Parts: sequence; C-alpha cells; structure tokens
Amino acid sequence: MAEVDELLAAWAEVNGGEDAAWLAARPGPRLAAVSARIGSVPRAFLDERVSLAALAGDVLPASPACLRFADVAAVRLGAAIALWLLASEELVDRFEPPLAGSSADGGTRAVDALALRVAPVADPLDWLADDERREEAARTFLLWCGYLPAGEDVATARSLAEVRDSLQRNRALADAYAEQQHRAEIARRLSDARAKEAAARYSRE
Amino acid sequence: MSDAARTEPPDPDASVSATDPLALAEYAPGSVAVLTDAERWPTLTAEGAARLERLRTHPHAPRWVHRTGDRLTAEQIERTKHPLPVSGWLDEHLAAARGLLHYRGLAPLERLEDFPTVSRDDLVRDIAAFVPLGSDFDRMLHGTSSGSTGAALVIPDDVEEVARSFHLLVELVRAEGIRWRPDGERMALAHVVHQREAFTYASIVSGFGQRTMARVNLHEAQWPTDASRREFFADVDPQVVTGDPTSLAELLDPELRSAVRPLAIFSGAMALSAPLRAELESAFACPVFDVYGLHETRPIAVRTDDGPFRVLDRRVLVEVLDAAGCAAAPGEIGELVVTAGENQLLPLVRYRTGDFGRLIRLDGGAPGIAELEGREHTRFVAADGRHVACVDLTQHLQAHGARGWTVEQGADGAVRAVIAGGDRDAVQAALEALLGRAVATVRVARLADLGEGKPRRFLSAAS
Repeated sequence: MAEVDELLAAWAEVNGGEDAAWLAARPGPRLAAVSARIGSVPRAFLDERVSLAALAGDVLPASPACLRFADVAAVRLGAAIALWLLASEELVDRFEPPLAGSSADGGTRAVDALALRVAPVADPLDWLADDERREEAARTFLLWCGYLPAGEDVATARSLAEVRDSLQRNRALADAYAEQQHRAEIARRLSDARAKEAAARYSRE
Repeated sequence: MSDAARTEPPDPDASVSATDPLALAEYAPGSVAVLTDAERWPTLTAEGAARLERLRTHPHAPRWVHRTGDRLTAEQIERTKHPLPVSGWLDEHLAAARGLLHYRGLAPLERLEDFPTVSRDDLVRDIAAFVPLGSDFDRMLHGTSSGSTGAALVIPDDVEEVARSFHLLVELVRAEGIRWRPDGERMALAHVVHQREAFTYASIVSGFGQRTMARVNLHEAQWPTDASRREFFADVDPQVVTGDPTSLAELLDPELRSAVRPLAIFSGAMALSAPLRAELESAFACPVFDVYGLHETRPIAVRTDDGPFRVLDRRVLVEVLDAAGCAAAPGEIGELVVTAGENQLLPLVRYRTGDFGRLIRLDGGAPGIAELEGREHTRFVAADGRHVACVDLTQHLQAHGARGWTVEQGADGAVRAVIAGGDRDAVQAALEALLGRAVATVRVARLADLGEGKPRRFLSAAS
C-alpha cells in the first residue's frame, strides 16, 4: 500500500494535471490498434534482465521519472510495454496519426503514466491477458501522448477511461491519489510564472 | 498595445542592481512579468491604454520594477463591484472547510468551536491542505506574505477577491460621505511603499472607469531626479493613497505634503500611532482609515479614529482566546482568532493571528476590537542617520533562509541579531550593508530557541 502510494505520488508530481491533459488532447489513433500492439509486445521487452534505463535511453529523448522505481516489477513491466508502443512505430508500423511528434516530451509522460499510474493498480501482465485492462492501458497511453481514441470526443473518452480506471475500485487509494493530485496541482499553479506575475494590489495588510 | 515589452523602454537603472550587493533577484525589473497587456486587462479600452502608456512613460515616474494588471473579464468586473453576500456565509464556510485535507480524519466538526485553531506555521507547512478540492485554479495567483512571525508564506490569492478589495476601499470612503468616483485624469489610487526594494507597477483599475493606479516606492533612490517625486505626485494627483505608517509618514515631507491632496488615506500592515494619524489628518484634511488585516485573512476591521476597530461587515468573524486556547471571558484581552471567508481559495477557520486585543460591542451592536496590539512598526537607524524600515531587513533575513529572528538596536545604536536557521554570514553581511554598522549575529537552530510566544522580532531604542 505504502509503495503504491509512493508511485502514485511520483506520478502526481510529474503529470502536469489530468484536466490539462484532457483539454489538450486531440483526435488520435484507433484504440483497437493500440490495444493490439500492446498484445504483441516482444518477449525481449518483458525480460527483466534487460535494463530499463538502457531501453528508455534508446527510445526516449529524456529520462522518465519511473526509472527511480525500476526495481519494482510492475513499474518495470509497465514502462517496458509503453516503450514498446513507442519503439514499435520504427520496428513494426506507424500509428495513424503517428505517436512520433505527438507530444513535446517524445512520449516520456506516456511511459510514466503506464509505469506509475496504471501498473501499480493493474498488473501489467493482465494488460496482455485481459481485454479490459488492456483497454485501460491503451486509453491511458493515448491520453498522455496527447491523443483521444479515434472517433471519441473528450467527454466520451474521459467517461470511458473512468469506467476502466482500476484505481477507482479502491476507495482508499483513489482518495489518496486525489489528495496527491491536489497538492501537486497547487504547487504547480503557485510556481507557474503566470500566477507569479500576480495582480495589482490596492493596499497593505 | 498588446505587449508590455514593446511599450515600456528598457529600464536605465537595470544595470545598477546587477552590481548592488543588496540586490534581490526578484526585484530585477520585469523579472516576473510574463503576460501581455491584453491578458493583464482583458477589457482595456483605447482610453485606458493611453492612460497606462502615459503613466509608464511619465518623465518623472519612479522606476517600475514589475508589470501586473487586474486580469478581470467583463463579467468579473461586474461581479467584483459587489461584496460577497454575508447572509448564512458561516454555515457555507464551515461546510467548505470540513472538506479540506487539513481536517481529514478529525472528529466531527459540527460547530465553529469544534474546529481546532490553525496557525501560520500550519499554512507554511502544507498550504494545499487549506485549499478546497475542486477549486477554480484558474483564479489562483501567487501571493506572498512576509508576515510577522517568521518565514515567508506563499498564499493562493483569488483574482476576484483582490479586485473586490478595491471596491471595499471605495465603499468605506463613500460611507464617510465622500464622493469617490473617477475624476478626469486623476489617478484613482496610489499604493505607496518606502523600501529599499519593492515591487512597483503602473496599472489600470478596470472596474473604476479604467483609471490608473500605481504601486509607488517613495524611497529616494527610485526617482529620476530630486524633484521627480513631487512632480510625479502633483501631476497624477491620486484620489486615494494607501500604505503602511512608514510610507505614509513620508507623505508629510514638505515637498510631498504640498503635492498630494487625497480624498482619503488608508493605513495598513502595522500599527498607526495616534500622533501620525493626527499629523496626516491635519496635513491632508481627509479621513485616515486604519485597516487591520492579514494577507491570509484579508481585511478584518477598520477605524477612522483612535478608538476601537469596527469588524467589517464581510465574511469575517473574530474570536478572542485566552492563553489556554479557550474563549476569553467577555471583554478580556486575548489572542485574536479569525474565521475568514473572503478568499474562497483559502477558507480559514479559527486562524491564530498572533495579535492581541479585546472583543467589544460597539454602539449599534457591531463587534469591535479594542486595545489591538501586535503589528510592528519599527525603524532602525543606520550609522549615517538614515532610517531603515524593518521590512527592508525582513526581505534579506528571509532571502538568506532565516525562519525567525530577533533584531534589536540599543539606544547607542548597537545592533544584535538572533536568527533561527539560515545563513548566518550572509545575514550578517546584508544587515551590516543595510545599516552601515556592525551587527553581532547569532544563529540558533530552532524557532523555539528565540523564546516563547510570538517574538517581537524588531526592537529599536535608537531614534
């Protein structure tokens, strides 16, 4: 439990706000295409002897936050599957529209999303075996790549994502996560340059 | 005029601060200004823009360090002209407070008295725990309070509450029978400070006929020429002047006294002495409002004479607690504890102000505060005879990490400082540079090492 808390807190610190992510999302690839690609992850990506840092270094332009927790099996596996989705555009076929260039961070947050937001509450091995969990991972991945599933508007996509969200099935964890998101959002807002410009004040207190 | 960077000439003094050992980075001109003018004043008219431009480029204007506006949409302008309704506010307020993270897991908090008191330290430790979940974060601004009990505090200001505070001043002035309305090209309000360094800016009050306001540093070093201060005030002719006692006292300087003709003066932040009030009233023949409030709570009470303060008819409730934290007997002196609901991003319940007073009933039944004590107004004397306001010391103490302190000056001028935490050498160097004399500086590890209760952080027996 404490470990899951810690992973969710790490995600809250780096995600930049879920509301902002939904607001920025635009039409993306078909959900079925991403789900199918998850199901075809090569064994090499799942092999725990392969260094996650090395794998991330090959695929991402920046180091993801989840590397700090690479010794947690679920984190390692979740990150590896996300890295596979990104790498697969070179190794198999591009998605339409492509993931490459879809987000300013080159997919780093999408990797953290699967590793720190989904993997702690839905075992990545279930993403390979269970349709619902695979859909949850695919939806999360697309969102943090800056995409909505093809054919869905924001309201629909958000509502379907919430239905699939494993975190919501554990009230205590969901509350703890909401708390972490709240704190992170306030810290982000208060340190934001636009907030720091402040507003004209009329007197001293 | 959509981009301030294009409308304001480079500041000629900008290079000065680069070599100034006491320069604080945040006061470098424009260092935290990022918005466009269209974002600062979404309803800015051509007339308003022309007024702003004149103020920004006024030949006698002081150094403008910062740029900022009121950020109000047309809808917000209308909304902020009126006070928040007070009928039933406390019930709503407590309901909102029960959902704050700070109170998670506590026993049922049914009545006001069930809530434990909270202190500035609680806010410093975890400000997010006092912001309601699901708040409209787009209204949140970064507010800072140097405060009176130690470490700086970052406060989530509400853009609407900040704007509404202007209209509170208007309401208070009009209640005195004074007609305060936009008047030609007169500046609506000058918010004066007297500090070595301060955020200063020229702005427009969108909800007051798009007239100007400015935060102006009266410190001599901020003006282009010796005559500029007088020329500037004579020309912009502010209708109302606000400040703290240190800066307001500067208005009594002969050159300013004859240049300023305010409808009203507002004093805040520190105790306004009876002699200074009398001098201001006599010099400017206008009411002087002494406003008691904290950045955290927003304005609490006001008075226009040397009698008790009247608690404002706003979302504010004052209790007085004894040393044990229990309600003081009626009329007894105790710590003022305030429940404050004007800033909806920071709904405070039973906030310990660290100030002391006696709760009374005024004629007509309104609550009042008598014998208010606690706000500091200390000036130190530098080796060359200059007066240095305690806020100048506060800035450097905080910049070098001190969480609390006591700085005392003896009648002979000698200064000693005790700081809790922070960089002793850097603090000593800064204080010595400010005061031009040796400052014996001792560092202790904990706030508690400064002594019991709210430390009287600044004391000066020199004059």
